[in-house]
Amino acid sequence: MEDNKGLTGSEFGEEKNERVEQSLPVTQFDADLGKEVARDARILVAGGLSEVEFYQRYHQAYLKEFGIDGRQINQGEGNTASESTFPKQISRRTLLKAGGVALASILGARWLGGKAYASGPATGDNYDGLPLRGEDDQPQQNGRVQMGMVVDLEKCDGCLDCVYACQKHNFNSAGVLWLYVLAYRDENQDGRNFLVRLCQHCSNPPCVKVCPVRARHKREKDGLVLTNYSTCIGCRYCMVTCPYGVNYFQWSDPEYQNYYHPKLTDYRGWWVIGNPPKGVMGKCTFCPDRQDDGRGNVVCALTCPHNVLHFGDLNDPNSEPRRYLVEKTKEKGGQLSTFRLLENYGTKPNIIYIGQQPSRSARPVEGPVSYADWGLVEKRLTVLEGPEPWFMKAFGGNP
Amino acid sequence: MRQTFGVRSRVPSRADHILKPMGKPSTRYYLLLVTAGAVALWFFLAWGWQLRYGLVVTGLADWGTSGGVPWGIYIGLFIWWVGISHGGILISAGVRLFKLRVFYPVARLAELLTIGALSIAGLFIIIDLGRPDRVVTSVIRAYATTVHTSPLIWDVTVITLYFVLTATYLLLTIRHDIYHLGRRLPSYFAPLYRLLTHGYKPEEDKKVERMAWWLAFAVVILAPFLLHGGVIPWLFQLIASMPAWFSPIQAPTFLSIALTSAFGSVVLVAYVFRRVYGWTEIIPDKAFARMGSVLSLVGLFFLWFQLQAIITGAFAAPVGLRTATEAKVEDPIYWTAIVLVAAAVLYLGAQTIWSALFSVRRVVIASIAPVLATLFEKTLFIVEGLENPAFDIYKAVPGHYFPTWVEISSIFGAVAMLVLFFAIAAKVVPVIEVEAEHEE
Repeated sequence: MEDNKGLTGSEFGEEKNERVEQSLPVTQFDADLGKEVARDARILVAGGLSEVEFYQRYHQAYLKEFGIDGRQINQGEGNTASESTFPKQISRRTLLKAGGVALASILGARWLGGKAYASGPATGDNYDGLPLRGEDDQPQQNGRVQMGMVVDLEKCDGCLDCVYACQKHNFNSAGVLWLYVLAYRDENQDGRNFLVRLCQHCSNPPCVKVCPVRARHKREKDGLVLTNYSTCIGCRYCMVTCPYGVNYFQWSDPEYQNYYHPKLTDYRGWWVIGNPPKGVMGKCTFCPDRQDDGRGNVVCALTCPHNVLHFGDLNDPNSEPRRYLVEKTKEKGGQLSTFRLLENYGTKPNIIYIGQQPSRSARPVEGPVSYADWGLVEKRLTVLEGPEPWFMKAFGGNP
Repeated sequence: MRQTFGVRSRVPSRADHILKPMGKPSTRYYLLLVTAGAVALWFFLAWGWQLRYGLVVTGLADWGTSGGVPWGIYIGLFIWWVGISHGGILISAGVRLFKLRVFYPVARLAELLTIGALSIAGLFIIIDLGRPDRVVTSVIRAYATTVHTSPLIWDVTVITLYFVLTATYLLLTIRHDIYHLGRRLPSYFAPLYRLLTHGYKPEEDKKVERMAWWLAFAVVILAPFLLHGGVIPWLFQLIASMPAWFSPIQAPTFLSIALTSAFGSVVLVAYVFRRVYGWTEIIPDKAFARMGSVLSLVGLFFLWFQLQAIITGAFAAPVGLRTATEAKVEDPIYWTAIVLVAAAVLYLGAQTIWSALFSVRRVVIASIAPVLATLFEKTLFIVEGLENPAFDIYKAVPGHYFPTWVEISSIFGAVAMLVLFFAIAAKVVPVIEVEAEHEE
């Protein structure tokens, strides 16, 4: 990949460093190391640095700083299916994980910061204004875990860091934006606003209902809505049914197919992680590998430099997103505007947005950072072009 | 008029006529086989291309940020062919349940059309899939669960049931004919005939007649009310994400479209056979006049439901539905479909009242119009629906879709397959019921 523009020095320049430092008020870890690794991790995903180089460069520093290197998964400490499946060599998978851990603990240093601020006074238990509704949403009911997110749209500045991180982390094809940030103007709202659209991991997901083969399913353990890439027949009914438009089909051979031999499986041994193979549906997964091995985070939230995305168990009053809601409500003097997207469709979405809901009159506008600035494709149709046989070319190609 | 399926001792004198297609194939027959075979082969090569490179070779794409439409002409063709398959059973029902003798000559042809069209409809579901290789294993393993929730599985279930009932019906009634035509049938298919008439006794005719009655009764409820007036519209109607599909009259609308295309196709098939084999007496003018009348009636229902949908969708509907309706009425393809059906309804209705206007050729031409119109309407229904989702905030919405050469090949490939099916079926089994002549 030649296009390293904005990924080397300038992108991670002064201004950004300041922002990251500001958002790292309390952490016992080395923020400078974090920023260094973060910078290199980006260069790595952009193809400017080899994986082995990246791995070696920070191995010692990693052990020194944390006392443990999350990348040493060969020693049998882990218990996920994917680890036990490929224990022999440092596979691509291991390296991906390595990059992931680096992203996790450092790129986003958010996570660490989040832990720190989450240790503030806990008042979540008898919080009244929590926008949790419906039987599935009752806190701690039956001890059920429902992973979800609190998305603070008031803090989002449309930098698209999360979009880039998600796209590259999952090795998705051009135009596949499992996480999408839409800039819009609305006559009922001031200025330019943003909507962070990812899979809502609904408690009543229509896509799961209509799937004719149970490939799309809701994982018992933590309520993630996932697609079993081994059984999906590619009928695209889930895409048609989902009111949010979060699904992205694999119309041709994936651009980075080779990264997914071997397949990335979750703790059940199901192939549900990463980009799907040809002819199979994909969408935002909430990074199941990260839930299974105890990291309990997602790449987009780790990457966000503005504390917008808060990932965790929505049924646990002590979870990061729930605490964030409490904090934010206090900050706002008890008046917090929250909403869930298209809630009237009965899907029981598990993304709680802080901010104002876009109305029918909301119209998309250009954001401060364009998708092209990140080397991303926004409108996938423009790059979805299949090969044509010679006799069709002779006729002047498709209409 | 006595309705029997009973055996008469003598072989019908019209057996010569009925046996005509089963004679020695002519050069033109071979030419037809080669032409239709080539078109079908072309389509299978195109499908092979699609399997090799993925559905990217179609005009389809994701809706949402991508600016595409995930279902297109394949799904449109699926519904269209299921609609055409309704002709057979309704003609048979008319004959068997309502004793409409005028349709008797075309009953077997219409039933064969049901089998052929339904098979092609099923094929289009497979063609539309990203991973057709998994369809059997994945569907069967999950069936017990998904049949409770997935409208797609309801469709598969009802279509399978419909196919089984129609095939059984056809098989039961064909045994009698094959037995009575006996040695006059081509000898090289003798093993097949022995299989088809296995254990046949003339005494079974009475019982078979009752069974056929009940089968016709079952299917006449199943096909209109559970299939095209049921699970097929539910595939779309129950989806909250696309406002254009949300309509309490979606099922009657679908059924009216299905019946319009079905009667149109039966007229076309009957005309081709009449023309090729000189069956002016076997399939008389009266049959065409009456089929034309029925077509004008179902076409009128087609137009009426469209009117209802536009009036409610455009006047004071919720924003999403209004946007979708506006997109529809601004589309020239939609009006092409409406004008085609309206023209056919006008002529076919007029010839019903004023018989001087009737000619077989005119009825046939008027029947082509609704068959084409329903294909346009069906595809537009899918595409327009998906281009105008409820959540229309995306930059790339509404999307855009135009079929590619692979998809367009599938239209012709499917028609060629149906031609092949009839060409071969006509050589093997009698396509006119033997017993008809007793009643005239």
